[in-house]
Amino acid sequence: MNSMTSSPMIESYFAALATQLSDLPQPKREEVVRELRAHVFDRLEQITVPTDDDCRTVLKAMGTPEEIARQYRVELLLSRSAWKVSPWNVLRTLFRWTLTGVQGYIVFLLALLGYTVSASLYLTALLRPFFPHNVGLFVSEQGINLARFPGPPPGVEMLGPYYIPFAVVAGYLFTFATTLAIRAVVRRFGKLKEKVGALMPSA
Amino acid sequence: MALLRKEPKSEPTEKWEAQLRKGCLELAILACLWEQRLYGLEILRGLEANSNLVLAEGTVYPILARLKEDGLLQSEWVEADAGHPRKYYWLTASGRQKVVSMAQFWNSFAANLNGLLKPVLNGKGRS
Repeated sequence: MNSMTSSPMIESYFAALATQLSDLPQPKREEVVRELRAHVFDRLEQITVPTDDDCRTVLKAMGTPEEIARQYRVELLLSRSAWKVSPWNVLRTLFRWTLTGVQGYIVFLLALLGYTVSASLYLTALLRPFFPHNVGLFVSEQGINLARFPGPPPGVEMLGPYYIPFAVVAGYLFTFATTLAIRAVVRRFGKLKEKVGALMPSA
Repeated sequence: MALLRKEPKSEPTEKWEAQLRKGCLELAILACLWEQRLYGLEILRGLEANSNLVLAEGTVYPILARLKEDGLLQSEWVEADAGHPRKYYWLTASGRQKVVSMAQFWNSFAANLNGLLKPVLNGKGRS
């Protein structure tokens, strides 16, 4: 087999892999596909005239595109310290995941919620110097309010000059906690999938 | 769901084995690269010959990618006679240090555990 002649089966496998990996930056994704493609062609070269069945066997031994993409996600997202992971990357990765199932969708919403709360806290810290009467930690019987336009929120402002450092620290902690929670969930779902995978008859 | 419910009987050992495999795979990959630079498939062959660590071949590549991110490996595309280039990996200085310390840990760990397992494997129960 000429090393670069391919079959529709192989092409559709790598098309699926590229789609699954679309949360990786493009150069990285292309490199992954290129590397795994080299692997498949190397395997097929050991066979003088590979048939469709041989292709199927080689691709099966690789694992499904979903499984490989999940592994990349797990390895590249979980290996970094949570402090260094940017929310933007987490959301991008998770958004990709939403397209593969309901689990991913729920996790994505969860992450979006967490990061939104965090962003709101930062925003109030920014607004506070300009609107000292509208922004703060207002506690009343109805609950806690961070900002209201127009007019001051009900209740008593609790923090005064400490509001800005409070909002910044709280926002940061919220980002961190959300990232940690998401990683825990990604790990769990990963295991769940392995469990289900273990029930399937293997090659 | 019915399938999932049937599972627990065999699950604990399977899960344990899977976790053990996973934990050892990283060390095995690094060890394969101790003597020479290799591309993915060569690493896999090394693993197949000396262990039964790999279940799906494709899963080796994400681990290689992460080891590279961690600075333990370096890689380079090399043109080959095959007609397509191959991505070769080799250990960096910190990768070498890491694999040595992992190997030392493994050795003492395995020796201790083997001592503990001797009576179990000898099969002479106290019945």
